[in-house]
Amino acid sequence: MGNIDVRLVREKIENIQALPTIPKVLNKLLGVIENPKVSLNEISSFISGDPALTTKVLRMVNSPVYGFPGRISSVNQAVILLGLTVVKGLLLGVSVFDLMQKTMIGLWEHSIGTAIFSRIIAVKKGHKEPDEVSVNGLLHDIGKVFLVLQFPEEYEKALAETEKDFVVIFDAERNHFNTSHASVGSWMAKKWRFPANLIDVIEYHHKPHLTKNTPVESSIVHMADILVRTRGYGFPGDSLVMNVQPEAWELLNLTEKDLVEIFREAEDSLQMTEDLTL
Amino acid sequence: MPKVAIDNLKPGMKTAKPVVNNNGMVLLGENTDLTAELIDRIRNMDVDGVYIQGTARPSKSKDEFLSEIEDRFRNVENDPRMEVIKRSIQIHIEGLYG
Repeated sequence: MGNIDVRLVREKIENIQALPTIPKVLNKLLGVIENPKVSLNEISSFISGDPALTTKVLRMVNSPVYGFPGRISSVNQAVILLGLTVVKGLLLGVSVFDLMQKTMIGLWEHSIGTAIFSRIIAVKKGHKEPDEVSVNGLLHDIGKVFLVLQFPEEYEKALAETEKDFVVIFDAERNHFNTSHASVGSWMAKKWRFPANLIDVIEYHHKPHLTKNTPVESSIVHMADILVRTRGYGFPGDSLVMNVQPEAWELLNLTEKDLVEIFREAEDSLQMTEDLTL
Repeated sequence: MPKVAIDNLKPGMKTAKPVVNNNGMVLLGENTDLTAELIDRIRNMDVDGVYIQGTARPSKSKDEFLSEIEDRFRNVENDPRMEVIKRSIQIHIEGLYG
């Protein structure tokens, strides 16, 4: 069992931008996102200035992850319809797509699936910003990418442990790193000035009862994570379902009938996005 | 009744609902046998997916699906909340193949 000092983990993670594997577009994008005064117009021209990024963004906004399948034809339209917070998160999502594909097979599908379930639950619960909750779902596991990038061998051992001892990756990470992808993700989310709610959901999606700021959003993403694991879509690092937090369960108050409807509704979207590569 | 993206349609599939574009115009009727030519024709017509007759995942049997769920739930038996979630997915899967 590894025992890496958590301070060392944090130091290495926070220097991740120096890695040659971090795509240039991500660094450029972070420059834009870190500016709290950035306008919709600036974001729009940043995307439009990069044809590859434009294609990815349009493919993503027209996927069933968002509420306008096949109906958005320009970046301007996307940015206006979705708003600044959602577009920031979506840009981060499409920029880490390649990294996810390279670091952990199935993590992208798990993330897309979580985004889809998050959106459906948010709509069902009358949340005002279902697309924001969807982005929270899309990026909730981003910490796993950072851990794999900086500690590939140690992470391999954590993955092996999930199979051997039937533990979820969250617990295996804690055994090996004395921390988890939730904390790691939130360090970087803070450092890169992600939208405030997104930072919070990344940090608390395994412990939604501990957040003061996003109890609803963290509970939704927590539940979505469990439902996508239940359905068996993608690979989050283990092949198990973990217990739902009782407080999150109470808060969402979903009945068996609700859950069956959620699975039905998600099914079409999951099949539509099976081959969504960016 | 799965909804299939245009790029995943294959000749021999049969439509389960009329195929409409995003303006609501009907392009193909229900029960149409898809040919390569028809698939090509609707490819550029602003359609976000086609409902196809038959089961969602012919590659995986219902029993495989259900037994995988038993495996995934191995750590959470005896939690009444998880039992509700498990029953829901079982009902959903029965519905997919029903």
